[in-house]
Amino acid sequence: MTILILAYIDPGMGALLWQTIIAAFVGFLFYLKKTRRWIVGVFRKMFGRSQKPSDPVAEIPAKETMKAKADVR
Amino acid sequence: MPQSAPSFRDPAGCCCSFNGRVLRFVAAEAISEFEQFLQTNCARQFIARKQFVSTRRLNENEAAALLESPELQPVFHAQPGGAVFEHERIPFPSYPHEWPPEMLWAAGRLTLELAQAALADGFGLKDATPRNVLFRGSEPVFIDALSFERRNPGDPIWKPHAQFVRTFLLPLLANRRWGLPLAEIFTTRRDGLEPEDVYRFCGPLEKFKPQTLSLVSIPTWLSRRAGPDDQKIYQPHLLANTEKAQFILESLFKRLERTLDSLKPAAQKKSVWSDYMATHSYDDPAFAAKEKFVSEALREFKPARVLDAGANTGHFSALAAQAGAEVVAVDLDAACAGAIWQRTREQKLNILPLVVNLAHPSPALGWRNGECPSFLDRATGAFDGVLMLALIHHLLVTERIPLEEILRLAYDVTNSLLVIEFIDPKDEMFRRLTRGREELHATLDTTMFEQACTPYFEIVRSLALPGTQRRMYCLKRKGGAS
Repeated sequence: MTILILAYIDPGMGALLWQTIIAAFVGFLFYLKKTRRWIVGVFRKMFGRSQKPSDPVAEIPAKETMKAKADVR
Repeated sequence: MPQSAPSFRDPAGCCCSFNGRVLRFVAAEAISEFEQFLQTNCARQFIARKQFVSTRRLNENEAAALLESPELQPVFHAQPGGAVFEHERIPFPSYPHEWPPEMLWAAGRLTLELAQAALADGFGLKDATPRNVLFRGSEPVFIDALSFERRNPGDPIWKPHAQFVRTFLLPLLANRRWGLPLAEIFTTRRDGLEPEDVYRFCGPLEKFKPQTLSLVSIPTWLSRRAGPDDQKIYQPHLLANTEKAQFILESLFKRLERTLDSLKPAAQKKSVWSDYMATHSYDDPAFAAKEKFVSEALREFKPARVLDAGANTGHFSALAAQAGAEVVAVDLDAACAGAIWQRTREQKLNILPLVVNLAHPSPALGWRNGECPSFLDRATGAFDGVLMLALIHHLLVTERIPLEEILRLAYDVTNSLLVIEFIDPKDEMFRRLTRGREELHATLDTTMFEQACTPYFEIVRSLALPGTQRRMYCLKRKGGAS
């Protein structure tokens, strides 16, 4: 892909350096956020499995639930 | 030459005004990208919301017809193989040196919203200056349609960030903290304030306030540490992870939005003139008579475009807008213009408030004085009606402008109607301004005023405001439109 670089405006010096430093920090936050999401996902999976037996509806297989709903109608 | 000199900074093309049309000449290599941008969700949504200038490509015949105009040939030759697009015309162009801070804030908000929306479509905003924005009434419209380029998805840096800080955030900060008028910033500096300029204004403690630290102090300290020839700073830092680059940019835009919002001008700013409507010298019957007189003149002449000169908080601008006119309301007080902007937005009126001193109007600015025409260049012949209410004593006494000059200015600006309020030298406000120089205006009375009007205007009717030393005049311009 060809990228047209037309930054005809002055990008500044101090402001550009400051933006780069913040970008590095936010980039680190990006990985933290991803890791947190991954950990939460793992816990949800584990937690979700352990909750299923206590949920009476969840114990019924999907097809049976559909059939039960159809019967009610 | 085209009627307004073309913009020339962007190598991708230029824009100029010709015979009342706004034309954009796009360089051959930029056409495809420009057309792709116009098809994005971002462009379509903002055009539908009237926040982005609507644009169409001229067909070959239309472009060929333009090429026949000798004034446009140099522009065509500068863009060989290029294409011509036409933009909708925004009624009265205005510039950041004429805006109250509220309007600069609104232009900044629109710029950031567009930059964020374009990001989702794979485009980046390549410059971030208030000159990309004009106002239709009180609503900002992004007009520099060529400011978007396809961005490298791995680039986490927004190059115009520094320009956004210089032209939006630092002027708003300097205005809020030290009351520095935007006219003083933008009349002399096209590209706003450098962090180093603002750093010099800051006291030792101020340099460490959170806003100043991030916008002013740290960039200033960093630029001092970096060598002026260090080109490495400007090299692109591309990331292999494009999701990460997008996350960094989104976070930058959110941060800029928060900073911009923290600099939003206060809603009820006070100034010498902002309370005029509550403290003026009219009693209720006099004010009602004045209001009725103006309303009748507006009903009779039905002006499509009105200039309210010395608009104060915009009471009479609102009357004109409610009568169906497109109004430009000018006042030298930025707090008044800001209050009009707030009111106009709330009541959805078609009023463009500007900070302009008629005795010292905005000059032509930019390269060869051709980039921003002067206020009077734009105003001459641009209005069907002019309101000069409670104004002439300020021009006569404070500014020492002769009466005939004031009437000639009104004659140049209006094509038809002038509603003017004559204020007798015996008036309390007039006397407050003369400060012992009464002899300068000793001969001024309604007879002299009416004689001064005669070469330029026909007196349609006049009315003495009860209990005051003031008289309203409804005048019709002589000799047709200017």
